[in-house]
Amino acid sequence: MTEIDSLRPLAAVLLPALGILTIVASHRRPNVREGFTILTALGTFGLVASLVPATLAGTTHVSRLGTFVPGIDLTLSADPLGMIFALLASALWLVTSFYSIGYMRGLDEHSQTRYFAAFAGSVGAALGVAFASNLVALYVFYELLTVATYPLVAHDESDTARKAGRKYLTYTFGGGVAVLAGTVLVFWTTGTVAFTPGGIAELATADPVVARAAFALLAGGFGVKAALIPVHSWLPDAMVAPTPVSGLLHAVAVVKSGVFGVARVVLDVFGPETVGDLGVGLPLAAIAAVTIVVASIIALRQDNLKRRLAYSTISQLSYIVLGLGLLSPAALVGGLLHIPAHAFMKLTLFFCAGAIHVETHTDDISDMAGIGKRMPVTMAAFAVASVGMAGLPLVAGFVSKWYLLIGSLDAGNAIFAGVLLVSGLLNVGYFWPIVYQAFFQTPEDADSKPLVEFPIGGARVRTDGGERSESGEQSEDVERDASGSEPETAGSEEVPINAAEPVDSEVDPDVEPSESEGDIEVDARVEEDGEYAVDRHPSDHLGDEATDDGTDSHDADSHEGTSLAEADTDDHHEHHGGPPAAGWERRGFGEESTWFMLGPITVAAAGAVALGLLPRGMVFLALVQRVVAEATGVVF
Amino acid sequence: MTDAIALLVVVPIVLALVPIALGRLWDGAGWVAAALAALAHLGLSVTVAAKVFSTGRFTYAVGDYTPPFGIELVTDGISATLVVLVSVVTVAVVLYARRTGPDSNSFYSELLLLTAGISGVFVTGDVFNLYVFIEITGLATYALVATGRSPAAALASLKYLLVGTIGASLYLLGVGYLYIATGTLNMADLSTQLQAVGYDSPLVLTGFALLVVGLAVKSALYPLHTWQPGAYAESPDSVTAYISALVSTAAAYALFRLVYAVFTPAFDAAVPFALDALVLLASVSVVVGSVLAVLQSDLKRMLAYSSVAQFGLVIAGFSVANATAVTGGLVHLVGHAVMKAGLFVGVGVLAGVAGGRTVDDLAGVADRAPVVSAAFAILAFALVGVPPAVGFAGKWHIVLGAVEGGRWGVAAVAVVSTLLTLAYFARVVERMYFQDAPAATTDTVSGPDATATADTDSALTPDGGESGSESTDDAKTTGGSGITIEARTVVVAAAVGAVVLGLFASDLIAVFEPVLEVYFQ
Repeated sequence: MTEIDSLRPLAAVLLPALGILTIVASHRRPNVREGFTILTALGTFGLVASLVPATLAGTTHVSRLGTFVPGIDLTLSADPLGMIFALLASALWLVTSFYSIGYMRGLDEHSQTRYFAAFAGSVGAALGVAFASNLVALYVFYELLTVATYPLVAHDESDTARKAGRKYLTYTFGGGVAVLAGTVLVFWTTGTVAFTPGGIAELATADPVVARAAFALLAGGFGVKAALIPVHSWLPDAMVAPTPVSGLLHAVAVVKSGVFGVARVVLDVFGPETVGDLGVGLPLAAIAAVTIVVASIIALRQDNLKRRLAYSTISQLSYIVLGLGLLSPAALVGGLLHIPAHAFMKLTLFFCAGAIHVETHTDDISDMAGIGKRMPVTMAAFAVASVGMAGLPLVAGFVSKWYLLIGSLDAGNAIFAGVLLVSGLLNVGYFWPIVYQAFFQTPEDADSKPLVEFPIGGARVRTDGGERSESGEQSEDVERDASGSEPETAGSEEVPINAAEPVDSEVDPDVEPSESEGDIEVDARVEEDGEYAVDRHPSDHLGDEATDDGTDSHDADSHEGTSLAEADTDDHHEHHGGPPAAGWERRGFGEESTWFMLGPITVAAAGAVALGLLPRGMVFLALVQRVVAEATGVVF
Repeated sequence: MTDAIALLVVVPIVLALVPIALGRLWDGAGWVAAALAALAHLGLSVTVAAKVFSTGRFTYAVGDYTPPFGIELVTDGISATLVVLVSVVTVAVVLYARRTGPDSNSFYSELLLLTAGISGVFVTGDVFNLYVFIEITGLATYALVATGRSPAAALASLKYLLVGTIGASLYLLGVGYLYIATGTLNMADLSTQLQAVGYDSPLVLTGFALLVVGLAVKSALYPLHTWQPGAYAESPDSVTAYISALVSTAAAYALFRLVYAVFTPAFDAAVPFALDALVLLASVSVVVGSVLAVLQSDLKRMLAYSSVAQFGLVIAGFSVANATAVTGGLVHLVGHAVMKAGLFVGVGVLAGVAGGRTVDDLAGVADRAPVVSAAFAILAFALVGVPPAVGFAGKWHIVLGAVEGGRWGVAAVAVVSTLLTLAYFARVVERMYFQDAPAATTDTVSGPDATATADTDSALTPDGGESGSESTDDAKTTGGSGITIEARTVVVAAAVGAVVLGLFASDLIAVFEPVLEVYFQ
């Protein structure tokens, strides 16, 4: 592998930084500002794409920036593994930029300059993570990524958003601390932290206790961003961020940087052989397997679409970690290929969720029956991506899953193949109902969803044998109070509501009243004895639609904030969403939403299909094979 | 010229007399004298630094009396860097204090005395001379803290006076013990003499203990830190910026010189318990300082406790007796000075804009002061340890040194300190950016408009009620938002400096290396 000195890796990282400056400078002219975002994204993608032929040919472009701390250089190098992540991040940033424009303008969001600037910074940091050529350089950009994405998580400025932001910072800085500790251990034992394909030689002969500790710290630290159980819980809460953020960052850039870090540790710091010798590969694969299954099961119970997608992301990320933990060449190929495969598919899904939110203010699956009539292209793309997530052929998810299955059998651990197959079934379990009810059902005859509706352990039984549910008690209280004057603080979630006063930000987000609602609508909203989700949450969408169309960002923000607050299904949650009283209206092709959003949705879905049909043609598989060949010596 | 090293102390002292002498006749004498002194000091320090970087360490015998009887001034890479730091901070504070802080002749006089004292601490090579300069520093600082003019400031100054004098007296006692044991006060001479006397002699051990405790008081290590929060919080913003950057830094530097130039690593080898105890104290300081910082609602107190924690980290680095950790401690010493000064000036500005001094008062202030808030956020994250800023470089070396020395506890504490520092800074940044300002409902009152509608909402009065010296005339020069150009420049320069220092940390370390090589032979 030859190296040549080049400015292009550095330029690829600095261009988004320059983009931040131009975006902030043009904050008074939104169209110019958006133009700068697109231009920067285009330029960055161009730079990264121009490096692909060289990397495929075996030449690595290296930008040397000098010594950072004694013994460690700050160097950016476009090696095959880095190129996978960089190409993915820059290509999808371009797609997401268009989507962001449609989304932010569709919701008339506040602080758009901060949003676009932080976005550019995040992608720049992600590219730095991709091109970093040693653990310390990786750590630098890893921390910068955390700082750059924090404003995006807390963007809403609601209580939920701030809480989510705090949790995010705690978890990711905690992970960073572990990475730092592991890096110091590696440097102390071997005297180098540079990424060497096949692993740093001295680690193979180092003290196994220290080596294992270093591996645990590094994998654990990177595992926080890779959302491994038990350090995954920041991700569902981070869904309070605007959907393009959830899509690109928390399905593509940030979480993939965590997985990428694990990949670097397994392939370029320790090397597959040493990982196997130390015996740490199997525990890693085991944790990944547990994450895959548990996260999928939790996903089954989520009514909020974005939360369901979040748990799906947690589950799918561990496919990659599983591949890395199994260590056989086929598994490594499968795991690494799943990085772009999952990215395209998950981005499509998130884009669809965001489009649905912008167009209909619907966030919950129980409200989405028959929405295929209203948003055909969106739901079609959703269907395609879901097929891929389940691992069915023709879409990207199949190829990586195939390699993973072969790899787990190669490694002699058939149980992991079983885990993968079960996961596929679970994926079908939580995606199929959405697609089916969207196209083949209407709000009136939508199927019930017992997994989502009922509490864990089933409905509770009263001590005298009669049946009761938690919600029943509260609806009694509500009825009692409704007959009185004002609803008082009864049950756990009612709060005194005074429509005349401005909303206090201290209000429990579960029942955040809007200024347009009066007492009666609130009571109607919280009634709980219907059999179907739709009955239990009668849509006042028609009444709210008039106000919603002219909605200011406060409502939109509070809505996004509240829809995330429920963990259980019998919570009261705010409802602007759901079908209008007359049912979903039929929209023709291209009429369901702006092309700013539909375009990226179709591009991402097409990318997922293309990756499934021509994996090598789409460059990624070729890069992956190169990586595995260099790391293991086996050409797969 | 070799006299530059002595002039570093002399020039500020002489120019400190000017405001007193001319003060009756001319009100502006103070600032002019201070500005002249700051510029002269900068020139001198650069000259000294240039000499050190080209020819290496050099010494100067004061009054041409040869050591060990005469007083010797010594400059090597470390002290040269720190002297330049003093100049830079002096220039910045003199600039900043013109419009923000107390603008009185006595203030500038005291400031120049403080400059002289701190410069003396950094260049002296004699332990008793060090005491003299520590006392000069202390006295000037007590006076400066009291310029706050409030009862709380007077009380804080008194507390500092009492505790600081006790600390300095303990230091003096320690010097006395060493003098009795060896008969010399010169640092270089002491190192050989102490070895001859024997490190486990009770005199020597007691001397060490007294010296360390005295300097720990001066550098505000837990539990001897109690003077610091009050002193920082009640003094004027310009004073806080100066003393947080330099006073405890000088004490920590003195500790470093004592442990390595006077007692040498051989002492640690003979009596490991001594530095072990110091490591423990420092580590506790890191944790407790951070926890106490989280509990504060007053911003300046929070930053004061942050200093307690950061100096714990620095001294932990000094106490792990290997070159890497000491390098880390020194880098963090320099970096922390820059960052803390910037943070205090930033807090002063933001508190003025927000109209209050607590964390909650800063809600939504980022809209009204975007540049200063951004610089503040950068400095905050730099102190947390986000690379490539200088906070990371120091931490990396301390952790690496601790691991190399087998001190896993220190390594763990240093690594976890990132999270602890994050705990108290994240909530400030969150309030600044992600909460709405309380009085403004949906529209934030923008700067230039505010002067016109200033009568409507006093909470948003843009000329910043806190800092007393601002008048409506200033509104024209400050762009209506109450932030002076100088203040903005200082904070932004600090932020840029923190990042640049971090990027060029290896160059800074290359300057320190020759000195440490000598100590760790």
